[in-house]
Amino acid sequence: MLPLEALPLRQSPSAVVTRGRVLVGDRLAVEAGVGSGQKLSTALGLLPGLAVFERDIERERRALENLACWAGHFTPTVSLAPPAGLLLEIGGCLRLFGGAPAIVKAVLAGCAEQCYSTTWAAAPTALGAGWLAQAGAGSIHHDMAGLQAALADLPCAIPGWPREVESRLASFGLTSLGDLLALPAAGLRQRIGNGPVNDLLRARGELPDPQQPYVFPETFAIALELPARVEHAEALAFAGQRLFAALAGWLHGRQLLLRACSLQLTHDDASLTTLSLRFAEPAADEGRFMRLLREHLARLKLAAPVEALRLQADELENKSGASAHLFDQAPAGEGALACLERLRARLGEGAVQCMAEKPDYRPECATLSQEVAPDGGLSTRPDMAALPRRPLWLLPVPQALAERAGRPQWHGPLQFLSRAERLESGWWDEGEQGGAGDVQRDYFVARNPQGQWAWVFRATDGWYLHGLFA
Amino acid sequence: MSAMPLPDALADVLARGDVWRGDTLASLPDRALPSGHRELDDELPGGGWPRGALTEILAERSGLGEMTLLLPALARLSAEGGWLALVAPPWLPHAPAWAAAGLALERLVIIRAGRQAAWCCEQLLSSGGFAGVLAWPEAGIGAQALRRLQVAAEGRSTFTCLWRPLAQASAPSPAPLRLALTAGEGGLSVSILKRRGRPAAQPLNLSITRPGRLSRALAGPSLSLAAARSAAPAAVA
Repeated sequence: MLPLEALPLRQSPSAVVTRGRVLVGDRLAVEAGVGSGQKLSTALGLLPGLAVFERDIERERRALENLACWAGHFTPTVSLAPPAGLLLEIGGCLRLFGGAPAIVKAVLAGCAEQCYSTTWAAAPTALGAGWLAQAGAGSIHHDMAGLQAALADLPCAIPGWPREVESRLASFGLTSLGDLLALPAAGLRQRIGNGPVNDLLRARGELPDPQQPYVFPETFAIALELPARVEHAEALAFAGQRLFAALAGWLHGRQLLLRACSLQLTHDDASLTTLSLRFAEPAADEGRFMRLLREHLARLKLAAPVEALRLQADELENKSGASAHLFDQAPAGEGALACLERLRARLGEGAVQCMAEKPDYRPECATLSQEVAPDGGLSTRPDMAALPRRPLWLLPVPQALAERAGRPQWHGPLQFLSRAERLESGWWDEGEQGGAGDVQRDYFVARNPQGQWAWVFRATDGWYLHGLFA
Repeated sequence: MSAMPLPDALADVLARGDVWRGDTLASLPDRALPSGHRELDDELPGGGWPRGALTEILAERSGLGEMTLLLPALARLSAEGGWLALVAPPWLPHAPAWAAAGLALERLVIIRAGRQAAWCCEQLLSSGGFAGVLAWPEAGIGAQALRRLQVAAEGRSTFTCLWRPLAQASAPSPAPLRLALTAGEGGLSVSILKRRGRPAAQPLNLSITRPGRLSRALAGPSLSLAAARSAAPAAVA
């Protein structure tokens, strides 16, 4: 099914054709009678609404490589078995995942999440596992004896073998690999050639069968073309999931953490939109990537339909080793930083910030907004003379107060509770864009009859309310 | 009344955090957060601000010392390295004052949530990474949204405080603890509108440290705009 499933977000029914003949169709197409090897015209006659895609070997290879990247979640030793096979060496990670059934379950669930259908088998030899998987065995063989018994039941039609071998074996009256093994090997080699016999020995573990491991690329940048143009940003999340699943596996395989990545959307008018995803702390968790992506996509307005995606890892850092908890002590929930980065994605840049003190006597300049830092940043208090008590809240703009009988009024006459605190500062940014300018004010702590404590000042043009002692 | 030993099954039930006898205060499943005010702690179930439940504070007006009431508890959370969040605060926080109160500014996050304060608050609570969340929800927040927040807060060790106007005191709320704050004689008057346990008898008068000295008010400066205009650069002491 890989030729078809390499196309995410395709409409149904659909089929992949090569040289004018149907290669594979999806469930709806098969139900309508479209079958492998049919002429395209026949298939279209059966199902006029069939969406047809030309087979692209390159696309399938890319899909397989993305899956290999994703499989980095499970094991560092992944091999490609073209055209549509993936070998995962799980012998070394059985203990980590808690046994072969647990790994198989996780792999299958991951494939299903990315909408790949799978046939699988787990066995001590790569070739044996491959043959069993292609036969749809779906079984786990821990030892060689079990594998050999299972192989003996397989039919002789092995996909990699030449067609004439198959027909010759059939003419001998041999139907299963077990029948083949009962014959003397030397005679069999003369009749069907060395290749198939050696394959059989490799599958049974009697000849070594080293595999070429897939090398996780140095840098991560993968593209995915969409078979149908996508007009809704939310629908992109599904296609994006394949990319992010591969990214998370790649990060795991290379033991890296991601700080920032960018997702490039190619529109059908060849214009580009780039979504930059930045993480508050380096992360390698697919679920977290997807949550952030969904927030970004929810805010995105597509200018034109999208026909391709490209994901690139921009900033990476090495993962430092950390021990997992002996018992399950991890707190529930995603944690503070992951939550904040989602809020930032939803509310916009600058909506989620923390404060820092700035050594400036002008109250409106003493608070500095800065991005939340993962390690908490440096806590340095500015080196200023001890100031009298400051209010917790400042008004964004000082509010002018009326004056009656020499007293400022704010819900009644204000009663002064402190001496004047003279602040004269800021001549250097007078008249500058965004500068607070020269300030000459007398500040007082005052209280009104309702019991509200306020911070008021008198400037040359009157009284102002500037803060609240909440 | 406690002379008769309770049956075991009943004692087990009463040991639960969410079951209490009408004549006493409930105990909390999670350790309460001392408020820093002895009189208040005595009146709060569990002996302090609850974690893992909503606390509603309905202040009559601002500038009464309502935030100062919370500062000892917030400073304690901050000293433990916890994250604090202010969701949609109505004014600009003034960094020197918050730092002087002993809060670590780099872990005090200001969220300008606009109209999404309730959503933000729910996300912060369910992330489980925050020690304290103070939120100013929009005035028209519904009972359903409050209920969602209460559910999100349950089971977390987050101190969650919602600031609401006093006009909402009669509206039903799922928050297990509701306080109304009014200006009192030389301090802050706290009446406990709702708590787990017997109803509170009378408001507490808490002395809150306030800036300035009340005695100065008697000898306050006589000031006028005209005087200020005539001697603008000179400080009037």
